[in-house]
Amino acid sequence: MSVAPVVLLVDDDPAIRDSLSNELRALGYTTTTATDGRDGLRSFETRAPDLVLTDLAMPRSDGFELISAIRATSRTPIIVLSVRGNDADKIRALDLGADDFVTKPFSVPELLARIRAQLRRTSSASATTLHFEDLTIDLERRRVTQGSREIRLTPTEYALLELLASNAGKPMFMEHIIARVWRDAPGTTPDTVRVHMSSLRKKIEPDPSSPRYIVTEPWVGYRFIAEPLS
Amino acid sequence: MTPRLRKIVTWAGAFAAIALVTALGSLAGLNPSAVGFAYLIVVLFASMWGGLLLGTIASIVATLCYNFFFFPPLYTLTIAEPANWFALAAFLVASVTVSRLVIAARTQAERAEQRRSELETLYGLSIDLFTATNRIGALGEAASRALTLLGARAGGLVLFDGSPYRQNVISWSGDKPDEIEDLIAGVGRHKEPLELPSPLGRDAYLPLIVGGRTTGALVARGTEASRQALESASRLVALAVERERFIEEKAHIQGLRESDALKTSLLRAISHDLTTPLTAITIHIEALKRKAASDPALLEAVSGIAGETSRLRRRIDNLLAMARLEAGKAKPRREPTPPADLFRAVRENLPLVDQSRPVKVTVDDDCPDLNVDPSLVLEILVNLIENAHRVSPAGEAIEIVARRHPMDAAQVRLEVLDRGPGVPPGVADSNGNVVASATVDIAQRGLGLEIARSLAAANGGTIAITPRPGGGTVARVDLPAALLPVAEQHA
Repeated sequence: MSVAPVVLLVDDDPAIRDSLSNELRALGYTTTTATDGRDGLRSFETRAPDLVLTDLAMPRSDGFELISAIRATSRTPIIVLSVRGNDADKIRALDLGADDFVTKPFSVPELLARIRAQLRRTSSASATTLHFEDLTIDLERRRVTQGSREIRLTPTEYALLELLASNAGKPMFMEHIIARVWRDAPGTTPDTVRVHMSSLRKKIEPDPSSPRYIVTEPWVGYRFIAEPLS
Repeated sequence: MTPRLRKIVTWAGAFAAIALVTALGSLAGLNPSAVGFAYLIVVLFASMWGGLLLGTIASIVATLCYNFFFFPPLYTLTIAEPANWFALAAFLVASVTVSRLVIAARTQAERAEQRRSELETLYGLSIDLFTATNRIGALGEAASRALTLLGARAGGLVLFDGSPYRQNVISWSGDKPDEIEDLIAGVGRHKEPLELPSPLGRDAYLPLIVGGRTTGALVARGTEASRQALESASRLVALAVERERFIEEKAHIQGLRESDALKTSLLRAISHDLTTPLTAITIHIEALKRKAASDPALLEAVSGIAGETSRLRRRIDNLLAMARLEAGKAKPRREPTPPADLFRAVRENLPLVDQSRPVKVTVDDDCPDLNVDPSLVLEILVNLIENAHRVSPAGEAIEIVARRHPMDAAQVRLEVLDRGPGVPPGVADSNGNVVASATVDIAQRGLGLEIARSLAAANGGTIAITPRPGGGTVARVDLPAALLPVAEQHA
């Protein structure tokens, strides 16, 4: 990337805002900060960032308001900084249109991986081929190869993989998967998805004991991992 | 004036008045019809003050005197003219009738007066019970006041503590003979009021019944109040007792709710106040690491801080998971979870373990998913693996295994295997399970195991620590399986 991506960081705590902002700058991002949702929305409109990082609990105007306001006009990736134990908040944020979350206290490499995944997803929105390490998905010919070996998938498995991989890095809700892959066919339950997902994972995972590509996202659904940690 | 004396005076007065009318009439030579009216007035007052018996006797005596002194032939009880027979008979009938009428009216007035005062008492009681009371003691005071007003000379309020035989005297005045307790219990059992003659007059035992349940009894000894008034009073007291119970229950529930809300907000505060600085520290450490890249000594120090920080973070995670369970806020939210995903999350949570020694992960092909709260089981595994890491010699692999339970298809068995010193001899029972866990384990394995145990229990699972063949320990976690419906056809 020739131009440094602009990251808008919204958090009411100065310790996190300053340290994270410094760290992101040191790693080649341009940052701009805001202290609450309203302030954040103003910065969003004036700076047009490539990605938004936002806390949820903030005085005056919280992260949920900010997410809704941004989603009303834009598809800019939003990553939520959530607090452990608040799964309900996390899921609500995803529901409102956030793309991903990290749980405080997060590690910086983890956060960077999530940021890269989101930026990559938006820049490759019109790509016809998706590459993840040795896995290649040819969207036009609906072919999946691992190294030089072609992987044979059923139409349902392929549809699942395509949906998840083209949203790599984004937790996908079970309901969303049922709606997109099964077109809400009557009788489709989460168990149906689990059965197909399990056979898909057996086919594409190099080591099913240590999943590399697809993981479950507790209480949400599934996530395709664009790049593994470490 | 005692009633007896009063009676004597009234009777004597009545006869004196008849004598006076007779004397005045004959000495002054009054017209016999005027004398007849005077007698009638005397009979009227005699009935009013002396009752039916005096009224009737006065009527007869007056008739005899009227005949004797005023109808010719005078001073005999014979009557010459037939017309006078008629007059005398008419007088007798009139005076008896008047006396009866007067008495009926008086009785009615007395009864009305009694009802009025009883109603007043009940009204006062209901106001006492439903406005002023907020505690059982006040109920007792209100009941005693009502009993006094209902003319009871002794008695009180008794509540049952679950059974009519466990009696709780809320208030009592006057004497309380031993047999009263049995009478109260009987009334409580039969749910019927009881009235008995007693040395004090008439004793009434009234059960307090609400919704078919007897909650106590109201006892009025030596009362003349009507049965209706007594029953009304007992109904009022019963309702008030029930209301008291509701108020207490409501206060209790509200208290619970408030303490729950307090726990929840405390939890939120802790998770926010602890994780925020921890997050900032983690970020600073990352910056330090980058700057220390060229200085091995500094890098080692920074790595040390990083390790301790992530340990602190896991302690806080543990604490929060436990607190969430304690607060009952987060009942385990179970969902089908593949063991491989859990193992992956554990390794992400323990990067230092993962980097410093081999971690061998095995998930059997036919191993079902777990039906557990993933975030809680993650805590379990993190604790067990941290323990294994701490006791294992450097370089020795830790193994994590998931397989179907050998005996129970509805369970999955997760195992963490280490090559540490193993279970000390003498603390395992015949099944190889560690006994006396609380003392031995906390000392040997840290608090982590205890936390893991309670988290496993919350998920419907168990943990056993057994010796590993060839040295070391197996931490075995049995958890419920998520059984998928029979797999659908897929090519």
